[in-house]
Amino acid sequence: MNRTPLQSLALYGTVILLAALILFPVYWLLVTAVSTSADLSQLPPSFWPDDAQWGTFAKVWEERPIPLWLTNSMLAAIGSVTLSMVVSVLAGYALSRFTIRGGHSLGLFILTAKMLPATLLVIPLFSIFRNFGMIGSLWTLVLAHSTLIIPFTTWMLKGYFDTIPRELEQAAMVDGCSPMGAMVRVVLPVATPGLAATSLYAFVLSWADYAYARTFLVNAPDSWTANLGITTMRGEYSTDWNEISAAAVFVAVPIIVIYLFLERYLVGGLTAGAEK
Amino acid sequence: MSRVRLFDLARPSRQHLLGYILLAPAVLLVGLIIVYPLIISIDLSLQAVKLPRMGAPRAPFTTANYQKLFASSEFWMACWVTLKLVVVVTAGSLITGVSTALLVNNRFRGRTLARLAMALPWAVPEVIAVVIFAWIFDSSFGLMSWLLVTLGLSDGMIAWVSTPGAAFWAVAITMIWKGFPFVSIMTLAGLQSIPTDFYNAAKVDGANVFQRFRWITLPLLMPVLGVTLVLVILWVFRDFSIIKVLTEGGPLKSTQTLSIMTYDQAFGFFNFGYASAVGVVTLVICVVASLLMLGRQTRAMY
Repeated sequence: MNRTPLQSLALYGTVILLAALILFPVYWLLVTAVSTSADLSQLPPSFWPDDAQWGTFAKVWEERPIPLWLTNSMLAAIGSVTLSMVVSVLAGYALSRFTIRGGHSLGLFILTAKMLPATLLVIPLFSIFRNFGMIGSLWTLVLAHSTLIIPFTTWMLKGYFDTIPRELEQAAMVDGCSPMGAMVRVVLPVATPGLAATSLYAFVLSWADYAYARTFLVNAPDSWTANLGITTMRGEYSTDWNEISAAAVFVAVPIIVIYLFLERYLVGGLTAGAEK
Repeated sequence: MSRVRLFDLARPSRQHLLGYILLAPAVLLVGLIIVYPLIISIDLSLQAVKLPRMGAPRAPFTTANYQKLFASSEFWMACWVTLKLVVVVTAGSLITGVSTALLVNNRFRGRTLARLAMALPWAVPEVIAVVIFAWIFDSSFGLMSWLLVTLGLSDGMIAWVSTPGAAFWAVAITMIWKGFPFVSIMTLAGLQSIPTDFYNAAKVDGANVFQRFRWITLPLLMPVLGVTLVLVILWVFRDFSIIKVLTEGGPLKSTQTLSIMTYDQAFGFFNFGYASAVGVVTLVICVVASLLMLGRQTRAMY
């Protein structure tokens, strides 16, 4: 592929312009977080903070329950990822390897589960959880998040297992492995990239949830997740935009780091399940 | 393996059993937290109840919720808002997503970095995206109003979240920013599965860049785009966080979609029966719409 210098210029120009446009909101979040309140209430806005207030991060961390919110988010995510992965690794493997009666209708059903509006499901779940006195507990969130996650992870993993040749575990079984042993010792290690991608996706889904946290935990501030907590920082009449932005950085950074780290796997995993 | 085991799952005749056993936890869990609640929802929508208690005797069967729903202008308004949002956000995400994917599919230095940058909004949680855009759309010192004023497109600062038309666009822009990377990621994967031989052959035959796009890229991308389109549409349909946190469905219900209406009827007014009816209707629309769009391609989703 040979480009004329003009074509190269056009290509790089477009890429840089577009990237700038896409990344600008994130940049603006950072600028806002380190701006003074006075800077933020003037026009024209300053696009480069001359007097960066890094202290806002420390202030928000100490004065707001951000460590608690982050811990809760982390616990809910770890809990629901663990639960969903155990369940959907088994199910995805079964759907990939065994002829299961009703497998197709089961697929259609999970497809429907993907279409369920969370706002519909949250109504009966609220009634059920309230009945068991589970409102306000992080365990409730773990269970609720797994409803979001399992339909996705099961099909992502099925798609991934389909790409792994059956001969692998057949060879292992000839060598004396039990079917379960073959899966655990041979297939799962080979599937590590797929497992990593799927877990990451599950983690993102749990971390991003707001609807369930708001419904089940709103009256239990000790269990607030980061997303729920941060919305409470938006005041009725005025909002300290620098403080809420600094808090938002704390909430967004873990997920962005994980994402950058595992991006390659993620794209493979996400499309393995969908693109067939 | 000389031991005779009662449940020797390695025996070929028993292997399918193992399949069912492995599937059991998923079926059980999904049944418990998706199917059962769904049945309760449908049942609730057919009762005139405010806030139901589990275990209490079932209220008499009635279609009053649905009658009230179809007769209410609020419901039709919510349908209209949802439709507008679905069209605008899907079109915006599709155009931006496909064009960024085509762009970063070129070979150039820094391509990996460009790909990461263009998929970044996907990793930003919706609530955080809203925090960012709520400030950009701030009515007093927001960047967007200032930009429009500076460009001469607006006479004064716009009260985004208290002006119906403006609020709709604030929601739509936030959703497009958050939603297009998904299209981009899927398209890119689709593009990479097209063999380069096809392009080389077309070049030999003298096809120009537009012809190659029209006759090779587009047709081969269609299956992926179809699935992606449906997933994006369903996402807009179901979205709760972005609208709820950004505008609360207001002002004057101008951003109240079916999802927001479901939620507010249940947890704002405690009309659980009525809310369930809205939710069930939303679900039916989602299922019918996606089956219509996918048709025979339904299998492609898994």
